[in-house]
Amino acid sequence: MLDPERKNPAVPIEGNQAAALEELHTPPMRLQFGPSHPATHGTVKITLDLEGEQVVWSDVEVGYLHRGFEKECETGYYYQNIPYTDRLNYSSPILNNTGYCMAVEKLFGIATPERCNYIRVIGCELSRMADHMLCIGASAMELAAFTPMLYLIEGRELILDMIDSLCGARVTTNFVRIGGISADMPHNFPEFARPRLDRALKLFEDADKLLTENPVFRQRMEGTGYLSREDLIAWGVTGPLLRAGGEPYDVRKVHPYLVYGELDFDVPVGEHSDNFDRYLVRLEEFRQSRRIILQCLERMPDGPVDADDPRVRWPGKGRVFNRMEELIDQFKLVTEGGMPPAGEVYHAVEAANGELGFYIVSDGTGKPWKCRCRAPSFSNMSPLSKMITGGQLADVVPTFGMINMIGGECDR
Amino acid sequence: MSAEKPEEKAPAAPELSPLLEKVLARLGDRVLERHTARGDDRIHVARERILEVARILRDDPELNFDLLLDVTAIDYFGQPDDFETKLQVWDQNRAVMRRLPQRRHELVLPPRGPEPRFAVVYHLTSTRLAHRLRIKCRVPEDDPKIASVTPVWPAANWLERETWDLYGIVFEGHPDLRRIYLYEEFVGHPLRKDYAKHGEQPIQEYVGPGAKEPRRPH
Amino acid sequence: MAVQVVKVRRPAATFSSANPWIAILKGLWVSIRHFFGNLGLFLRGRQDFAIHFPEQRLVQPPALRGMPVLAQMADGKERCVACGLCEWACPTSCITIYPAETADEVERYPEIFDIDMSRCMFCGLCEEACPEEAIIMSRQIEIASYSRRGSLWHKADLLVPVDQLKTRTDYIRRNYER
Ligand code: SF4
Ligand code: SF4
Repeated sequence: MLDPERKNPAVPIEGNQAAALEELHTPPMRLQFGPSHPATHGTVKITLDLEGEQVVWSDVEVGYLHRGFEKECETGYYYQNIPYTDRLNYSSPILNNTGYCMAVEKLFGIATPERCNYIRVIGCELSRMADHMLCIGASAMELAAFTPMLYLIEGRELILDMIDSLCGARVTTNFVRIGGISADMPHNFPEFARPRLDRALKLFEDADKLLTENPVFRQRMEGTGYLSREDLIAWGVTGPLLRAGGEPYDVRKVHPYLVYGELDFDVPVGEHSDNFDRYLVRLEEFRQSRRIILQCLERMPDGPVDADDPRVRWPGKGRVFNRMEELIDQFKLVTEGGMPPAGEVYHAVEAANGELGFYIVSDGTGKPWKCRCRAPSFSNMSPLSKMITGGQLADVVPTFGMINMIGGECDR
Repeated sequence: MSAEKPEEKAPAAPELSPLLEKVLARLGDRVLERHTARGDDRIHVARERILEVARILRDDPELNFDLLLDVTAIDYFGQPDDFETKLQVWDQNRAVMRRLPQRRHELVLPPRGPEPRFAVVYHLTSTRLAHRLRIKCRVPEDDPKIASVTPVWPAANWLERETWDLYGIVFEGHPDLRRIYLYEEFVGHPLRKDYAKHGEQPIQEYVGPGAKEPRRPH
Repeated sequence: MAVQVVKVRRPAATFSSANPWIAILKGLWVSIRHFFGNLGLFLRGRQDFAIHFPEQRLVQPPALRGMPVLAQMADGKERCVACGLCEWACPTSCITIYPAETADEVERYPEIFDIDMSRCMFCGLCEEACPEEAIIMSRQIEIASYSRRGSLWHKADLLVPVDQLKTRTDYIRRNYER
């Protein structure tokens, strides 16, 4: 499978060094980095060829978490696939729920009510905060900074508490439904959320203080994992990585969905396109997410949370218990699923790692003919080999950490 | 009940979206079909010309499709050419099924058209101009080959490997076409519709390093 | 297009960042502050940072989705009428129902009702699909067992009197009423 003769011609070997190598006849050392390595937070195998400390050739192999998400989706009704999307990016599940449900809504041609959109935005931004906290904490821990990880996990717990009070589960949320959400926000949610957001921000600032000014952390992050802006675009990279390269591409801004068009937030961009900028972009995005949530809590309108569309939303329990028509309706909707018109749609949302798109082909029955997930982690991982080749072995860890590959999403 | 019903979109809308106008002006007769449905623009291209079309779409300053989002395939196994073009037949069938479910064996399935079995689908976007386009290329079953777009967008590298892995479509000119999710000895391509969901794989003998060594006692 | 953009700023190389010892002291100051903060809370008897699990329990929100159980009515019978909707809606097909006839008013009851908890993912779709409010996500979350057979729950194990499920039934009636 691997060709031992293959070398990356992009790495020039200087004259005297080449002569020395010729004399010493040192073959490059083959190092297996992974599949389950303590310094990577994801199951991935990186094969490295090392000349001393320098990586001269590398090969990235993903697929250790492949579960056949798309095949599974083809055999389930539209509503049955929502719990599976939780397992795509398990550190920000509500974002995946929202992406999938919005794609199906686009297929049906349903517009969701205002209050539902605001609650979805809150859920999405909470998930994004949790994801960034986990990404920064885990990457810092892989660089031997353990304390920030503890603070960030503590802060993440607070955010998971909020998600818990929204939907009753911390990680496997199953929150969003086609044409609505599973349950309305608890009436005391704003009072519950505000102190927790403040405390999470305080913990986040502490981790920021520990990391950003730390010379060891900066030396390991600055200038490593560089890829130019043009290369990032050509390799299909999106999300914080692309924005750290100076390209302000954010789906929330360029194709506004839900209520993002009305909210006031900034898109952080970097300029050096290295790991430290990726880290700083994530820091700033965390603060912007908090800003978005506070705005949403302020503006939260009253009203229903479900689209009044009998094709997708199951009738209310009270009516099912007492009336024949609704009971029949419930039976039809559960056993046939909602039937969208035939056709195909692509809908993308900005997930924590980039553009998360769902491409759904419908043949007019209750099950999708094809349900494709465009996973940001997968596209972001593909230039990893290019980023680390030519660098030092020690740079592999921060680069991989900042790509923030989530196995469930990358391998699906 | 909601007051207004979402209107059904006709499959091939006669009016052109502004993006498709630009695309058609540049691509001319390379475009076999174009559709605008639910706000998505889509063109169909012959598979022989995909590389040429890709170059034009990327390099033209008016179009500037520099970001390849996704490459995937659709398997229209035993199904009509395109669900949207045969919409009426399917809708009729559904109405018949609702009225007379016991006669479902008499349904008129839309005849299998001359179109090939697979379609390779590309999703493009432009970071500067913020528009999206979908390209579809039909690929026949007996010769599942299409030119790789890796020279135009390196992002296609892994995405095409994935499509090869799961659908068995060969991308000619790909620098490194091997399976990405599954192991090399895997038989078949799992996302094809004729691969059973609970299909089993033969057990492979381990041939890697250390295979000949005697087993260590646990 | 005009996107509100904010450039991230790198902290300039200051005296402290050039001098590792100062940076370490600064970091130590943050952790020492945390240490004394937590110690103060501990001495005042407040421990909101750790929960000693078997003795203390987390206060769960009313939305909590624990394991699915069957509602048991006052006369000891299940409320389920074996319609099979939950079986159908379950994405992982972990519910098995064998219906049978009864002389009661409802005419049907499940002779066998098994849930394979090792496959259940606590998604709550069965509860949403049930037209009788008979399967309910309880607040029970401690369901570990020593063997695989132990995670197959039969009808007798699943029955829970309705009045113990009041938090959740109230929640369902409030939220699933559209
Ligand atoms: S909670 Fe979900 S997985 Fe578990 S039995 Fe109910 S429907 Fe099935
Ligand atoms: S849906 Fe409710 S009534 Fe029907 S079989 Fe399941 S538990 Fe019983």
